[in-house]
Amino acid sequence: MSHPVRIVGRLVMPAFWLALVLLILAPCAAFLALAVSPRLFDQGGQWFTLSYLRGAFTGTTFVAMTNSIWVSCVAAVFGTVVGGSIAWAVARTTLPGRRLVTGSMWLALLLPSWLPSIGWVQLFQADGVMYRMGFDYPGITNLILGPFGVVLVLGLRCVPFAYLAITAALAGLGQEFDDAARVHGASRLSALRVVVPIIQPAIWAALAIGFAESVSDYGVAATLAYSANFPLATFELFGQINNFPANFPAASALGWLLVATIALPLALQARALRGRSYAVLSGRTRQAVRRPLSLGGGTLAVGGILLFYILALGVPALGAVSQSLLADFGASFHLSFANYSQVFHSSTLTGPLIRSMKYGAITASVTVVGGFIIARLLTKVRTKAVRMLDFLMLAAIALPSVLFAAGYIFAYNLPFLSSIGINLYQTTTLLIFAYIASSLPLNSRVLVGAVSQLQPSLTDAARAHGAGPITAWLRGVFPLMSKPLLVAWLLTFTGVFLELPISQLLYAPSQPPLSVAIEDNLSNYHFGVGLAQSVVAVAIALVVVGSVLGVYRLLAPRGWRRLGEATNR
Amino acid sequence: MVLLGPSGSGKTTLLRCLAGIERISAGSISLGDAVVATRNRHLPPEDRDLAMVFQDYALWPHMIVRDNVAFALRRRGIGRSARRAEASVVLGRVGLSALEDRYPSQLSGGEQQRVALARALAGRTGLILFDEPLSNLDANLRERLRIEISSLVRDAGATAIYITHDQAEAFALADRVGVLEQGRLVQLGRPEDIYASPATPFVARFTGLAGEFAARTRSAAAEDGTVEVEVDGLPMARPLRARAARSGAGPHEGLLTIRPTAIDLCRHDANEHHLVGTVADVAFRDRGYEHAIDIPGHPRLTGVLSDIRVGRGDRVGVRFNPTGCLVFPT
Repeated sequence: MSHPVRIVGRLVMPAFWLALVLLILAPCAAFLALAVSPRLFDQGGQWFTLSYLRGAFTGTTFVAMTNSIWVSCVAAVFGTVVGGSIAWAVARTTLPGRRLVTGSMWLALLLPSWLPSIGWVQLFQADGVMYRMGFDYPGITNLILGPFGVVLVLGLRCVPFAYLAITAALAGLGQEFDDAARVHGASRLSALRVVVPIIQPAIWAALAIGFAESVSDYGVAATLAYSANFPLATFELFGQINNFPANFPAASALGWLLVATIALPLALQARALRGRSYAVLSGRTRQAVRRPLSLGGGTLAVGGILLFYILALGVPALGAVSQSLLADFGASFHLSFANYSQVFHSSTLTGPLIRSMKYGAITASVTVVGGFIIARLLTKVRTKAVRMLDFLMLAAIALPSVLFAAGYIFAYNLPFLSSIGINLYQTTTLLIFAYIASSLPLNSRVLVGAVSQLQPSLTDAARAHGAGPITAWLRGVFPLMSKPLLVAWLLTFTGVFLELPISQLLYAPSQPPLSVAIEDNLSNYHFGVGLAQSVVAVAIALVVVGSVLGVYRLLAPRGWRRLGEATNR
Repeated sequence: MVLLGPSGSGKTTLLRCLAGIERISAGSISLGDAVVATRNRHLPPEDRDLAMVFQDYALWPHMIVRDNVAFALRRRGIGRSARRAEASVVLGRVGLSALEDRYPSQLSGGEQQRVALARALAGRTGLILFDEPLSNLDANLRERLRIEISSLVRDAGATAIYITHDQAEAFALADRVGVLEQGRLVQLGRPEDIYASPATPFVARFTGLAGEFAARTRSAAAEDGTVEVEVDGLPMARPLRARAARSGAGPHEGLLTIRPTAIDLCRHDANEHHLVGTVADVAFRDRGYEHAIDIPGHPRLTGVLSDIRVGRGDRVGVRFNPTGCLVFPT
């Protein structure tokens, strides 16, 4: 390798760590510091105090935090069980219609949490769509607009994360492990119990992602939970920022509690992976064999998956679409396309749409590279620095986006930055930095499952046979990672495309992203137009996802696409 | 050259250092006259002009067999179609022409290893490294592939460094064998010399012993290099002689090591034996019957071959040939 290339190579990791510090650690640290030192950023008189932290354990804050924790636990387990079961059925059985499942799972994933939540509210609230259709069931209304409904919607939201994480791991789980168990006398169920632990990294990642996503979720907290009078931590936190006067130190204290709750899944995940090797993907991996389903088994499986989609997509879609076809107020059920007509004739939709697509593409491209590097560090290197990185990534997932954005406001609005000519506040650059920082942790978690299965000898073999390090990676590893990387790219793209809290706090003046434009309509009680905008935005996002996956299927070499495919025997 | 040693002896680490996959912290590595690695210098693997066959084959699962082999030809700067054509030729030499369009997961273990071998040969490098390539294969296939590796590498005129923990495999393949113990090279030589004259008790054990006894020499070495040996607590029916590992030494305490080939079985009442033992186990091998003999108060003798089968529990006379008995001073 030439001398300049070696110098650049040696600078990559330090530059990467510096970027992580500036993008994630510094803004998080700035905001969290407020809880103990409000005077640091002119938010109070004390240089050091614990009063805000103590206050977080009292009153409505403590109630909201407790609600968030138990709800997130149940939602994460629910999501992992359901998502994992669906992933197994799709990857390892002759499930009818399985090709539709992955695409449909994307739809469940790209929906921002506030959208299905609003759909449920619009459908079941006291004067909602069901009432206007003539169905008035107060018992069901109270059930949905209560803790059960919150757990249900959050749990359904966890399913796609778990499905994607576990699907990626199942792709590398060859048939030989199941065969070894069956040959030694294990029944199908026993073999499952033996084989499933091999994909433990993906299962723990799914639980960790599910819990962190649920804890930090704002959309459900601000809509369904708010309507149900069931306080959650994130909305409580937003209230402390949004109220006048804003109480940033109290919000920061609540942020500490949220970060602390992530220690549990992190500890569980680390304990599960300690001292074990999960490297199973290599040239010797044999394609999995699909188990044929009986009529009863197939009916049960299809029925279960359909039920998931009805609850995750069908019910909220009915609520959202029907509201978008109704006038904003009134008791009648007269449907029309007036709202859609208004949307398509309004220039206020086009600009934010294109803007958000650009932001999504840029963020996804940068995040995929960073996410892969982080996933590789987390799975292959176990130094103290990497363990800290692991905690930082999970903490960043848990930190609600609204807190993240607030941290950026503080960190990048500091006087000393202006004095050295760095004025990023209220610029598109800072907005994209915040998108990258908030997407990177989740992106890396999604990739951990696939990266943990890479055999190091694949790059060693390429190097030993004359390939440089970059060529060895491009030809030996990248094809194996192409699908997981593409999935991670699309996940980030769709997440940024409809992202709300960061967009709302950091967008550059007169350049609102799509979600801000939609939120403006909803907050001004233009439900019909707002939901019509949302439906159109979701449709466009689906087209993008379908097109990208379709192009991959058409253009990727056959060898890349066959990895992880199962065979029918 | 075959590097032989137990697990943890440093074979794989040494091979990876030779390949450039690992860096060394001290010393130096030279390939020919070129220094490729020192503490402060490290020539990367792709610049060392070598090839490697990995224990887990390391075939890229997303490439068909022909492309796996053709990859090694990239360093020669020839075009894509020429690479594929030459890869097909090499695959023909290892008998895999019919499988060149398959993916690695569609091949058996032996076939995958032959692809890995073809990849290593295709590059026509001066040095080929083998990292226990046969350890995952069944015995019959292992023997067939060993012969293929031996003949193909010799036909290619390449230098090969092969690591294994299997003594039989090492001796069958090697022109020279290096025995490793805890990261140190304890003996280097021809297989025959290492077997006949192991440098240390560890080398003797690792290259195959029937048994070993604490002993004492009763005299200095005779003209034929043998000494009379007395085994602690084990009276012999006739004087036992063994070769001395250290020439010129006077009577001393020692460790008597016995090769399986140094033991003959005879009737226990024929007065031709050194001692009498009891057969603990007998197993048919294609070369004869392999016996395990219990000696009262001493470790069992194992791997004792005989044309005649002696039944379990039967008493049998044991006779030692001095050529295969070696006493090391302790």
